Amino acid sequence: MTATTDAVVVESITKSYNSLTAVSDLSLRIRRGAIFGLLGPNGAGKTTSLRMIMRILIPDQGSIRILDQPLSDHTQDLIGYLPEERGLYPRMQVRKVLVFLAALKGVPETEAHRRAGEWLERLGLASWSQKKILDLSKGMQQKVQFIAAILHRPPLIILDEPFAGLDPLNAVAIKDIMLELRDQGSTIILSTHRMEQVEMMCDSICLIDRGRNILNGELQAIKKSYGKNTVRIEYSGPTDGDFLNQPALVESVNRFGAMVEAKLRPGADAQEILKAAVQSGVRISRFELIEPPLNDIFIEKVSNGHA
Amino acid sequence: MRKIWLIIKREYVTRVRTKAFLWGTIALPLLTIGVFAFQIIMSTRQLDHTLKLAILDDNGGLAASITRRLTGKLPSGEPTFQVVKTVSQPASEEQSREELLDQIRKGELDGYLVVPKDAASGTAVEFHTKNPGNITMKGSINRAVSDAVVAERLGKWGVRASDVAQMTQPVDVKLFKITRHGESVEEGQTFLTAIIAGMLLYTTLVVYGVATMRSVMEEKTTRIVEILVASVRPFYLLSGKILGVAAVALTQYLIWAAAGGLLTGYGTAMARSVHPGASMPKIQVPWSLLAYMVIFFLAGYLLYASLYAAVGAMVSTEQEAQQVQAPLTMVIVLSFLLFNVILRDPNSRTAVVLSLVPFLSPILMILRIAMQTPPFWQIALSLALSLGTTVGVVYVSAKIYRVGVLMYGKRPSVVELFRWLKYT
Repeated sequence: MTATTDAVVVESITKSYNSLTAVSDLSLRIRRGAIFGLLGPNGAGKTTSLRMIMRILIPDQGSIRILDQPLSDHTQDLIGYLPEERGLYPRMQVRKVLVFLAALKGVPETEAHRRAGEWLERLGLASWSQKKILDLSKGMQQKVQFIAAILHRPPLIILDEPFAGLDPLNAVAIKDIMLELRDQGSTIILSTHRMEQVEMMCDSICLIDRGRNILNGELQAIKKSYGKNTVRIEYSGPTDGDFLNQPALVESVNRFGAMVEAKLRPGADAQEILKAAVQSGVRISRFELIEPPLNDIFIEKVSNGHA
Repeated sequence: MRKIWLIIKREYVTRVRTKAFLWGTIALPLLTIGVFAFQIIMSTRQLDHTLKLAILDDNGGLAASITRRLTGKLPSGEPTFQVVKTVSQPASEEQSREELLDQIRKGELDGYLVVPKDAASGTAVEFHTKNPGNITMKGSINRAVSDAVVAERLGKWGVRASDVAQMTQPVDVKLFKITRHGESVEEGQTFLTAIIAGMLLYTTLVVYGVATMRSVMEEKTTRIVEILVASVRPFYLLSGKILGVAAVALTQYLIWAAAGGLLTGYGTAMARSVHPGASMPKIQVPWSLLAYMVIFFLAGYLLYASLYAAVGAMVSTEQEAQQVQAPLTMVIVLSFLLFNVILRDPNSRTAVVLSLVPFLSPILMILRIAMQTPPFWQIALSLALSLGTTVGVVYVSAKIYRVGVLMYGKRPSVVELFRWLKYT
């Protein structure tokens, strides 16, 4: 991959406040047109890193390039941002807020008006366009804020917990729009704690902890590197799952009610688990060898770092 | 920069189109003048009924003398005072006092005078009343008593009081105010103009300073500032905000100037149409004063607004805002407290120096300009000092703003603030 196919190139950035080092020697690359997952525990330095990409903060060391250019006032216009903490001017009209924010990113007002109308229509908010923000429900405000992030058609879109507070219908709508934007050539950085979303949508990821990059790359490649070391079992019947109590074979177990994910020890044979389950008398409806869920990878990597 | 313009536009439009702006434009000057006028009216209010007095006279002849001098009529034609009872050299003074007190309590008397035996040599005369606040009443009684006592003293020397009155008749000194254009009769309107100008400037500085602070706070609490700083440099955001609010203030000043111009030109006619027989004090508001008011408002506002904005950026709650903005508002109030110093003698050394001190200069200099235009170099120096300070203040405030708007949680200590100044 050559540099020109990267939407974002971050090289060894560091940021400290007094004695606290928020980000330390962080490097990553984001391919153009990718949906990139930025993960990490709270306080890991994700927001700080994103702020440096958006030029809200300046790194103490290192460099960042967006779409093949160094950061400048202009690169701010190329980025759309949906922050985790949402809020807009409460007493301003929906339409006017959207036009104002788009104008700040360089969209002429008449054009902004037109696009705002289209997006509001698409997300079912057309009749609210002249209402004040505070008249909308939280979910509606979220949608407006999402529109604000993409109205100027930015080639790079940063979404921090975009699905928080959205009901399933709205969540699907947003997801579809994200995929559509990606197909149209935008690059998306998705920062979230919801690992299932990352697994479903992201091409590549970066896991940050304590200001450092502790894991990054193509998602599928990462999972493959762990091999199919996890067994997913769905079963029913009078039992307390004792068959999984085999320290020689099983390293850890995650229970999800009627479903169980068991991580196998290296070299363990999953068939032994199957035998034990059958022998215990449970009725098995699913038995699957899978790569570890991202959730487990996350927990393992971060715990190792803190151990 | 196009983006600053967008910010200015937003700040301006969202404020000017509100009812609050309309009310403020109408109410502020009315309030300023109204409060002032009300106080004057209240303290010089005419009495509406004849006051019944009694005189307890230990001296012997003064009672009659005083009674004669308590002339004066109410608007209705009735006499202002009526001496209903004179007790001359009573056997028991105490008992008499008791009786009189009793009568006052019962409402039969409004007050009584106690004239001591040696009133002529200076022992004080007492006036007992339930309502000592009325200035007119006090003044009349004071005069009557004084004149009576002085007449007695003169009598002892063989001089007739009426001769003395003629000899000592006060001469009227008519006041003229000299301006660049000539002279005009001064009837106290300069003083009035100065106070109103000073009050307006004071009020607008506080109101718009706080408005700037609130604007910063709103963007912070709604978190919209996070998107804003991702679209435009914090310094532009701050400048746009300050300039936008300034534009609103200037609009208001413009409306007031227009109204003031109308009043000066047609005020008496307007007043007459509402209240026949009324007349407005001839308030001459020279255009130069209006121009200076705008200039000094801007100078003061830029300085204060940057600080108010920094306060807004430092805090996260309404309560914290109240605490942190207090010292700043105190400084503006200080200007107000110094009104008297300037008005008494606008060109005293103290007044000159004070009107040059940066934070105090806008209001104090306007007072001086309204009273008696100071030499131009002083005005220029005052402005220069103010603007110089503003540059430094804006630099510091911008840094605080830039860091503060994204910080939530405990209010920063002074030490922490210094660290903020070093962040990039």
